[in-house]
Formats: sequence, C-alpha cells, structure tokens
Amino acid sequence: MAMATSTFSPPASQLALRRQPGAAGRYHLLSFPRLRAAAGEAPVEAPSKPLPSPAASNGAAVKAKEPEPAPLPRFRDSRWVNGTWDLKQFDKGGAVDWDAVIDAEARRRKWLEDCPEATSPDEAVVFDTSIIPWWAWMKRFHLPEAEKLNGRAAMIGFFMAYFVDSLTGVGLVDQMGNFFCKTLLFVAVAGVLLVRKNEDIETVKKLIDETTFYDKQWQATWQDEPKN
Amino acid sequence: MTSLSSSAATARATFMPSSCRARPAGGRGRMARLVTRAAASSPKLPSGRRLRVAVVGGGPAGGAAAEALAKGGVETVLIERKLDNCKPCGGAIPLCMVSEFDLPLDLVDRKVRKMKMISPSNVAVDIGGTLAPHEYIGMVRREVLDAYLRSRAEGAGAQVVNGLFLRYEAPKEPNGSYVVHYNHYDSSNGKAGGEKRTFEVDAIVGADGANSRVAKDMGAGDYEYAIAFQERVKIPDDKMKYYEERAEMYVGDDVSPDFYGWVFPKCDHVAVGTGTVTHKPDIKKFQAATRLRAKDRIEGGKIIRVEAHPIPEHPRPKRVAGRVTLVGDAAGYVTKCSGEGIYFAAKSGLMCAEAIVAGSANGTRMVEESDLRKYLAEFDRLYWPTYKVLDVLQKVFYRSNAAREAFVEMCADDYVQKMTFDSYLYKRVVPGNPLDDIKLAVNTIGSLVRATALRREMEKVTL
Repeated sequence: MAMATSTFSPPASQLALRRQPGAAGRYHLLSFPRLRAAAGEAPVEAPSKPLPSPAASNGAAVKAKEPEPAPLPRFRDSRWVNGTWDLKQFDKGGAVDWDAVIDAEARRRKWLEDCPEATSPDEAVVFDTSIIPWWAWMKRFHLPEAEKLNGRAAMIGFFMAYFVDSLTGVGLVDQMGNFFCKTLLFVAVAGVLLVRKNEDIETVKKLIDETTFYDKQWQATWQDEPKN
Repeated sequence: MTSLSSSAATARATFMPSSCRARPAGGRGRMARLVTRAAASSPKLPSGRRLRVAVVGGGPAGGAAAEALAKGGVETVLIERKLDNCKPCGGAIPLCMVSEFDLPLDLVDRKVRKMKMISPSNVAVDIGGTLAPHEYIGMVRREVLDAYLRSRAEGAGAQVVNGLFLRYEAPKEPNGSYVVHYNHYDSSNGKAGGEKRTFEVDAIVGADGANSRVAKDMGAGDYEYAIAFQERVKIPDDKMKYYEERAEMYVGDDVSPDFYGWVFPKCDHVAVGTGTVTHKPDIKKFQAATRLRAKDRIEGGKIIRVEAHPIPEHPRPKRVAGRVTLVGDAAGYVTKCSGEGIYFAAKSGLMCAEAIVAGSANGTRMVEESDLRKYLAEFDRLYWPTYKVLDVLQKVFYRSNAAREAFVEMCADDYVQKMTFDSYLYKRVVPGNPLDDIKLAVNTIGSLVRATALRREMEKVTL
C-alpha cells in the first residue's frame, strides 16, 4: 500500500538497529549509539578543544582523532516536495487519493519520531493536516468507530429491554415513558461513548481528578487561614 | 503607582477560588476603607520607630519588594548572597513589565518579534505576524536586571546587604520581633567564610527563589518542580543573524515529555535548553535531542556555559505564616506551559510590599498576618485566570506527540496568535469575539482529532 509506493526505505543495517528488544518507548536514542554520538558531539565543539586554525597544514590530522559519525538517514519520499505532500502524485482516477496521503503522513511522522531530524529553514515543513477534507477523515476513522459503538449500544439496548420486560412485564414503549428507565438509557449511552477499552475507566477517573488538582494546589494556602 | 488600586479598577476577575475568603472584587473605595480599618486596629509601633522588614533574596521579586517597601516608608533590609549572580534563566519578559516597572530600554538585550514553533515531525510555524511594531518579548540578562532593580531599591532607601540567610527565629510574644541569622560577607576584611550576624525585624519577605530557605523555616511545604537545563552557545555571526529577533520552541517526546526545548537569543550568544518534571534523570538526553533539532543553526558554536535550575510547577501549600510570607519563585508563581516566572516574581514582590505598606499605614503600625493575606488574595484574584488557562493548555497540548502536532497546527491560526500574544504581553485574559471563539474551539477539536487519528495510523505502520 503506502510502503509499496514509497521509493525509499531505510537501509537494512539501520532497520536492524531499530528492532532491538527493549527499545520500545520514547527513549529510542539510547539504543542508537550512532544517533547518540551524532546528537551529542556533532553540532557543537566541547569548550576544551581549541578551534583548528585555518593555517594548520595538518588540519586533517587534528580532526582524525574524532571519527566523523555516519550521517543519519533523512526522511525521503518522492512525493514529499518542498516540505509538503505533492497532491498531484496522489492521483487516483482523477481525484486525490486522500487515504494514501493520510498513510504517507503517518509514515513520515513515525519515521521522525524514531529518528528525529534537524530542522532547516530551507527545507521548512509546511504541511497542514487540514488540507485533507473532513469527509476523508470521517470515512476512514469515524465511520468504523461509530459502527462499532452503535453495535454495542444496540446489543446492550436489546438485552436490557428484554431483561427489564421479563422482570417487570413493562413493554418497550412503556419503558421509554418511565423516568428510571430513561436514566438507565442515558447512563448506558454515556458508558458506551466514554468507556471503549478497559483502561478508559481509570482514565476517566484520573481526568476528573486532574481538572481540579491545580485549583486545589492554589487554594492550599487558604485552608489554614486563621478565622478571626 | 499603586498596583493594588489600579488593579482593582482594571481587573476583570472571572474566577474566585471558592474556599478563598478574600474580599469580593470591589472598587477603589472599598480597598481604601479596608486599609483604614486594618491600620486603625493594629498597634502603633513603640517610640515612633518605623516598621522593619527583611527581604531575603535579591532577584526580581526581592528587588521590586524592597524598592516598594522603602518608598512606602518602611525600614528595609535586602539580603542577597551573590551580588553578581547569573541566575540560569530563559530571560524573557513581557511588554507590560517594561512599562509597569519603568525599566530602561537598554536593559533589554534583544527584542524578539518572531517565534518559531516546531512540532515533533518538524512542522514549523512562524508566529508573531500579528504583533504591532511596538510589541515584542524582551530578552534580558538576569545579572543585569537583578542588579538594576537592587540599585533602585537602594536608591529608594533600602539597605542592601551581601550575606547568606541562614535561618530565622519566630517571636516569643504576639507582637515581638523575628530574629534573622545570616552570614555576612565583607570583602574588605579578608574573611573568606563571612561572619555570623543577626538582626531583628518585624516581618520577613521570602524572595529567595526555588530552593527557598525562608520557605523551609516557615514550613511552607514542598512543590513539584521541573529541572530546566540550558547551555549557552556562542555561534558564528552569520548564524546569529537568524536569531536576531527570533526565538524557537521545539516540542516533542524526544525533546521533553512534558515541557519544551528552546533556543533563545541573548546579547551575543544563544541559550539552548530544555526541561522536564517527570523524567529528570534523562535531562542530558533531552538536551542532546534539542541540539540535534537545531543542529544546522547552531553548528560550529562553542558552549560557553552550562547551567541548570529548578522551576516550581505550582504554589507551595503555605505561602504565609505569621508575619513571614513568600513571593516569586519561593512561593511557586511560575506558569505552566510556558514556564514564565520573572514578571510574576516582580509583580508579587511589588504587591506584597504594597500590602505591607498599606497595612502598616506607611510604616507606622505593626502588620499582621491578615495584611499579608490581602496580598495573597489580590494576587490570586488578578492572575488566577492566566494560570488556569495555561494549566489547561499544558494538560491538553503537552500530553503526547499527537497533541503537540495539533498544538503547532493551531498556532498557525491568526486568531490564536493574537489571543496568545495579548494574554502574554499584557497579562490579561480577554474573551474575544464569541463567534471567533466558537470557530477556534471547533478548529482545536478538529486538529486534536486529526492528530489523534494519525497517531493511531502511526501505530500500525512498520517502517
């Protein structure tokens, strides 16, 4: 798909480095000794080392102490032109293939996350995701998720309606007129929307704490105000 | 210029901490009536002596406090341990600080009018296009600013003492004095360590920064803090031209998991740094990543100084105890998201001093804890909206790389830039046009949704 259309992929040696076990997580730099060396030493000179004077005839000998680290593979893609995606290259039967643009951008961001690059004003990145039309995002991300959630809501709704009917004898139409049942319905819909994975329960609880935590820190000094 | 009354007149407080029993937002009249009541009830000082206050720490908070105290007729002693201290600092001050504190323009080394925000995937956005020609972010050297404010305090009548504050003793009776113990440094008598001395004061203002000793003595409690690490790099002149009026901000997990990396221009070099709260042991890695991102622009530079300092993340649990109070970094008045502290330090010092001057009726009466609490109430009321908004921004936009991408995307919007700069330069949270606000909210949600969707795609990609 997107992989096939890209004309460049990192050399096999770099790929091997990247797949080291335990390299998962944010601190990739640790597992890339060459990256670390390049990041730490290449940009600036240490203060103790004097600048090699231009007049030194054996400048090559002075520099030979410090082997130049191999340059990092920069992100390259034939469709990435002047800091943005060239939409003309994403043509599919006359219209732009937005799915391919989304895939290409995801791949670029993943590349840069694993392998951060120096920025340069000449090759400034100006791509803005808002050029991708809203319906492309809807079709790709919202609709499958909506289908899943609607499916869950429908299953819960059917079984709850059956269960309540079997317990109380109140039919579906009469259930909808009852305040308690309407509350249950609201809770069920909110639950389906907010809790999509098991971890979400913890996340929602933490979010509620988070919104008021900073306020509590600021008001701490007023807790022990002497009442006079 | 009394900021208390002017702030009461101009403040548009939209939030009142519910447990804060502060005076409601009244006009000038009510503030004046409160002042008279307090001054009438507290005892007049014996034998007509003036109120004595010790200001511990000679940074922006201490300098501003000492000057306002001395001007108000209070006998002030300012203790500073290192008069030529170059405190590690970003050094950015907003426009309102220059006007509010009457700073001479030659204090400002550089006027930053353009900022570049760079996302984790190197999307670069220029902000500053909405700035008027007279608006800028001032970059100062801390040693210059601090020395200037201290000299102004001295000129107003404060006594500046070079010494290290050791501890203080609380008074034995209700209206007794505090005893301050400090190490007096005097280069003239050749003693290297300094001699222990004491003196008595009626109130203490703790302006001694993030590692405040006054805070420790008064049991103010601890706060979470970030470590800010910075290298000053002298780069060749042609590269320095790029940073003539420009500062850069890098966001990304590689640069910092909960803060940002920066390249700020100073007088003749740049400061490259980053910070973190949650992953302090990895700060050197983050610094290396920041240098890598700015590699092309700082190549060939020489590191002339490496420095680090803690930055508080929120106020201390207790900011006043008896007649001892905290201002500036010692109190923890650093905003989230941007980590700005200089202006709030100076302003809190000024407001604290004004509260002491008012509560003591120009140094003729004893102050009480309630007078110091008035300064806390006013400061909280004035700046709470700013702090809360920045906290929300940090929580929403520094969460993950996806959120940071959305953040940088939002910064490209002119309305966002205008609101950001207005609130930063003038320290007011002004609600704009409601239609524009709705459009902004919709755009923000859109950006966040798109970035999160891309993030989920990224997880499926195998390079």
